[in-house]
Amino acid sequence: MEKTLKKENFNSLITGLKDKGYKTIAPKKDNNLITLCEIQEADEIHFDHIQTNNSIKEYFLPKTEKILSYTIEKTKVSIEEPEGFAVKSVVFGARPCDAASLPIMDKVFNWDCTDKFWIERREAITVVTIACDKCDSYCFCTSVGLAPDSKKGSDVLLTKISDDEYLVETETEKGEGLIKELETVFSEPPSGTPDRQVATVEKKFEIDKVKPWLDENFVHKIWAEFSKKCIGCGVCTFVCPTCHCFDIVDECTMAKGDRVKNWDGCQFKMFTLHTSGHNPRSTQDQRWRQRIMHKFKYYVEKFDNILCVGCGRCSRSCPADMNISEMLEIIATDEGQPEPVSSDEGQPVSKE
Amino acid sequence: MDNIYTPYLMNISDVTDEAPGVRTFRLNFQNENEGKNFKFQTGQFALYSAFGYGESTFCIASSPTRKDYVECTFRQAGRVTNALSELNVGDTIGFRGPYGNVFPIEEWEGKNLVFIAGGIALPPLRSVIWNCLDLRDKYKNITIVYGAKTVADLVYKHELKEWTARDDVNLVTAVDPGGETPDWTGKVGFVPTVVEETAPDSKDTIAIVCGPPIMIKFTLPVLEKLGFKQDKVYTTLENRMKCGLGKCGRCNIGCTYICKEGPVFTAEEVSKMPDEF
Repeated sequence: MEKTLKKENFNSLITGLKDKGYKTIAPKKDNNLITLCEIQEADEIHFDHIQTNNSIKEYFLPKTEKILSYTIEKTKVSIEEPEGFAVKSVVFGARPCDAASLPIMDKVFNWDCTDKFWIERREAITVVTIACDKCDSYCFCTSVGLAPDSKKGSDVLLTKISDDEYLVETETEKGEGLIKELETVFSEPPSGTPDRQVATVEKKFEIDKVKPWLDENFVHKIWAEFSKKCIGCGVCTFVCPTCHCFDIVDECTMAKGDRVKNWDGCQFKMFTLHTSGHNPRSTQDQRWRQRIMHKFKYYVEKFDNILCVGCGRCSRSCPADMNISEMLEIIATDEGQPEPVSSDEGQPVSKE
Repeated sequence: MDNIYTPYLMNISDVTDEAPGVRTFRLNFQNENEGKNFKFQTGQFALYSAFGYGESTFCIASSPTRKDYVECTFRQAGRVTNALSELNVGDTIGFRGPYGNVFPIEEWEGKNLVFIAGGIALPPLRSVIWNCLDLRDKYKNITIVYGAKTVADLVYKHELKEWTARDDVNLVTAVDPGGETPDWTGKVGFVPTVVEETAPDSKDTIAIVCGPPIMIKFTLPVLEKLGFKQDKVYTTLENRMKCGLGKCGRCNIGCTYICKEGPVFTAEEVSKMPDEF
């Protein structure tokens, strides 16, 4: 379904969503950060940015979430299942790259057995994205098979067609339902071909060349070179819309407690530390290799998808200025491929 | 929709102290129906929880041939295992599982079996040892080589006696040099050396090895020297795990998720994995 939406109707759209019982999440400026967060009024929405600082991920996989509660009474324990965690919401104005992360992550959360916390939120949340009309040097969606106006994962995609008007395209039944619910705020599609204002994101590397290189070079001096600057802060994993690794811990008083799932990250030493003290990924270069391998090799082999949408957040947020697309460029280009080293030379350098 | 993170509630019905800091729990389902419907196969693992402290991953140490209960053996080492060891008979613990793949014991029928374990790694093998002993007719010679640091560190001491007394089991126990007591009658030496001395015949034989990484590393070449083909040698791997369901993202070695594709692998499969142990 195609419609248009005038900027002046954003107010009625957000009010309409509220009236229909939706919680609205949208980009909002807070000091120097542009954050996807809950808003009440259309005025709060920030439009003129490249990318939000946080990704869409936390609305589907919260930073911390209760997966069960329990009461301990002497020797007995009773368990209570969490309820009401999936709230009917609309994420409005996220970027297409963020939306594309959702169907990619559906695969791991549905694999073999279903994580209901992910799936029920996926069902409850409608995703309305706005195509990017500008980008920066960190953006690389076009290198990972996406585009600034990709529809993958979006229920509705808005594309700017003039200073005060957006083209509205629905991608799913859920998106169509949403537009029908709020019919009055939308106008009929324009006649003729609208002038879509979409950024041009430079293609930085051939993704097809990345995996074959990774297949051959688990042991390679490049891992130590790449990770030299890494301070292991893990911010790349937290801002990433596709990093989904988590921890499970108990939070408890004497009698009552919750078991919670928290974001975790492969860049932390504790992530793989055995109780014995042994650690299969004890150095930062092993941990950085894991991040690249997981995204561009392991996930592809398991789920036939790259675990990266090219949003560039990991590089934009890195305090040590590590740049993942530059590394992938090195990996993907023949000239940049150093000769594989002997296994001794390629062994991770100790940097615990 | 079911919550895949919800554990079964189990009663601790028996507690055995195996060695300093090592304890075995026998667990029974609090809900009879859950108990009736519960099935597992030897080699699988589970997540055990001390409510208020969290979950910890260990193998199921009992054999599926012993119905109505499961057993786990753990060493007090971290937050959860310390909390577990505070629990007594009648207390409740959480149990999530069974997870992972299994020892293909049906494929092993008609063959000799050699079990090789080091230290706290006997529990996963104890499950498959009892499983095969409970189906004793289906297997030929059964040899068990078990070593620990010291005599006190040997686990399942009562069962070691039982296996020694049986004439259909050849049990070789060993302790590391310096770990012996004056009345120790077993061998003194490290597991790989003891395996070499015991020299089990590799013809028509399956070897099952479990122990700390360093023990496995030095035992595999010994087995190769004895003529064991890599696809006839099995091991069970462990890594830190949180979900046990292939989602939390940490137990992989290369592409292989220990929780889903493992924990049981052949030495051949292990040799193809990248060096990330």
